[in-house]
Amino acid sequence: MDVLGDLLGGFATALQPQYLLYAAIGVTLGTLVGVLPGIGPAVTVALLLPLTYAFDPIGAFIMFAGIYYGGMYGGSTTSILLNTPGESASIVTALEGFKMAKAGRAGAALATAAIGSFVAGTVSTIAITFLAPTVAGIAVTFQPADYFALMVLAFVSVTALVGRSILRGAISLFVGLFVGLIGIDVLSGQARFTFGVPELLDGLNIVVVAVGLFAVGEAFYVASRMRHDPEVTPLKGKVGMTGEEFRRSWRPWLRGAAIGFPLGSLPAGGAEIPTFLSYNVEKRLSKHREEFGHGAIEGVAGPEAANNAAFSGVLVPLLTLGIPTSATAAVMLVAFQVYNLQPGPLLFQNSPDLVWALIASLYIGNVMLLVLNLPLIRIWVKILEIPRPVLYSGILVFATLGVYTASNSLVDVLIMYAIGVVGFFMRRFDFPVGPVILGVILGPLLEAQFRRAVSISQGDLSVFITRPFSLALLVIAAAVLVVPYLPRLIALVRGDRTPKDRLDFGDMDD
Amino acid sequence: MIPSLRGPLVAAVVVIGLGVVVLVGTTAIAQAGGYSPVGPTAIPLVVGLAILVLGLLFLGRATIRPDRDLADRMAEEDRATHWPTPTLLGAALLGYAFALAPLGYILATAAFLPLTARIMGSARPRRDVAVGVGLAVVVYFGFTEGLGVRLPAGVLDSVLP
Repeated sequence: MDVLGDLLGGFATALQPQYLLYAAIGVTLGTLVGVLPGIGPAVTVALLLPLTYAFDPIGAFIMFAGIYYGGMYGGSTTSILLNTPGESASIVTALEGFKMAKAGRAGAALATAAIGSFVAGTVSTIAITFLAPTVAGIAVTFQPADYFALMVLAFVSVTALVGRSILRGAISLFVGLFVGLIGIDVLSGQARFTFGVPELLDGLNIVVVAVGLFAVGEAFYVASRMRHDPEVTPLKGKVGMTGEEFRRSWRPWLRGAAIGFPLGSLPAGGAEIPTFLSYNVEKRLSKHREEFGHGAIEGVAGPEAANNAAFSGVLVPLLTLGIPTSATAAVMLVAFQVYNLQPGPLLFQNSPDLVWALIASLYIGNVMLLVLNLPLIRIWVKILEIPRPVLYSGILVFATLGVYTASNSLVDVLIMYAIGVVGFFMRRFDFPVGPVILGVILGPLLEAQFRRAVSISQGDLSVFITRPFSLALLVIAAAVLVVPYLPRLIALVRGDRTPKDRLDFGDMDD
Repeated sequence: MIPSLRGPLVAAVVVIGLGVVVLVGTTAIAQAGGYSPVGPTAIPLVVGLAILVLGLLFLGRATIRPDRDLADRMAEEDRATHWPTPTLLGAALLGYAFALAPLGYILATAAFLPLTARIMGSARPRRDVAVGVGLAVVVYFGFTEGLGVRLPAGVLDSVLP
């Protein structure tokens, strides 16, 4: 009952006209940027972060919720029409969606993606409403050792389950951890890895790192391969579904939401695994299995719903534990820090107005996305028709603008370009970019909790394995490291000699 | 060794180099007084060692135990890459960054956009200039007037409101 009262209070705030306007602007801008090829939600959020500085915290977060959903939705449009998933969670959408588009059914694919996102987003938001306060209530009792173990689990699962190589994922993660160490150590006041550059004392600005790695790196990479231009599939016919297509979509939407939300809300989340799971489930259950691989609508409806639900689920550990489990969530955490808010169990006690307004705006953002997007799909498609040289020049202009306005410093802009060059080579050599961002943001938190835990135990390192909860988490983390090799191990046990690939879930560039 | 793994080999050396830099940098961190059991150097030490070891493992995957999957990918990359484009793009970005303050946001952006579009193979300079000027003006006034965020006016300082 309390929850409903709080939620109503949140709606009372979020439904004020100026906040509704912010939500609309956020959804539109988010979709606008998210629809750009190669730009996933993480960059969208990072690029638009400086824009929100002009608002009060509640307004900023309402706009943010819109940007978050819009960016996600924009990504699916790109996957369907261009077959270039802006983020790994859209890879599966591209699988069937692009085939549908080629067969002239882009309208139906876009519609099932939009409505599926709405359904799953709403289901998950309801789940967040009731789950988040409960988790926050439990999390109050967590000790630093538990937080440390949670973060280790998040790191391990992101590195091990994502990308084509654990080794390269781990290198990405540790490079990110190193970048996170740069600056003054909060606990001891000592400067670390500043190499005598005064600008580095505050550490590297995460906007600089994220925009450099994602946007500038992507622009360099696309530029280097400009001769391999994918073409936009023209959108023919109406955007919408036939009755038959609707009947084939609604169960996948709900199943997608049911798979996506729980997995997304685990502190080991990410949206990749749920989308792949959902795809496989739909393929198995479908009466039209022969259509899979040639444009089956279930293969778009399910994964898109799972994607959206998982993305909403990620907000649970972010809001209640202060632990981001995806690159996008990591950038969101920065937004909280900009306003001097520390997400975690205490956020619900200290800033209930903001939390509930944010949750209410998730509902509103979802509705707005549906209302704005179905009619506007043709405009988003037009954006995809911008010639790529102009488009990527524009992205570089906006990347520079974002960093320049955030810091007003030439040094930051140059650092961003340098990081962009690193991002280019990472793409070239197939290093996942997401773990870097996670390392940069989660690293300092991990270190703080580690040192706090060891301080409390007066130097006794066994504190991490004597507490049952943190021990359990660390055991799971170890298990996660083994999981990708299971197919190979099972094959070995069965005496199957054909080499099996390790499970992989695509790159985490979201 | 597989020729297409030359790039990853260089990358491995860079990662190993970074590991060394981190470890050397760790020794430069002053140890604060003994009030805390874990000082500011503990995690940097772990991170440095991890980067070093992972870099060495990656070096192995580029040489003695070649990663075939990566080798195939790199061979495709090498075929598809047109090096002058990203190189010129980098140069244009540097010029843009240094031109922002003296030239002002509008002029620098209006020049940068058509230039980079040209580098990336656009064959319609007039359209690109129009887009550049339009975008620069809209962003400049949108930010300075609309959002109250300052952008450098540069040489147009006396002309702009």
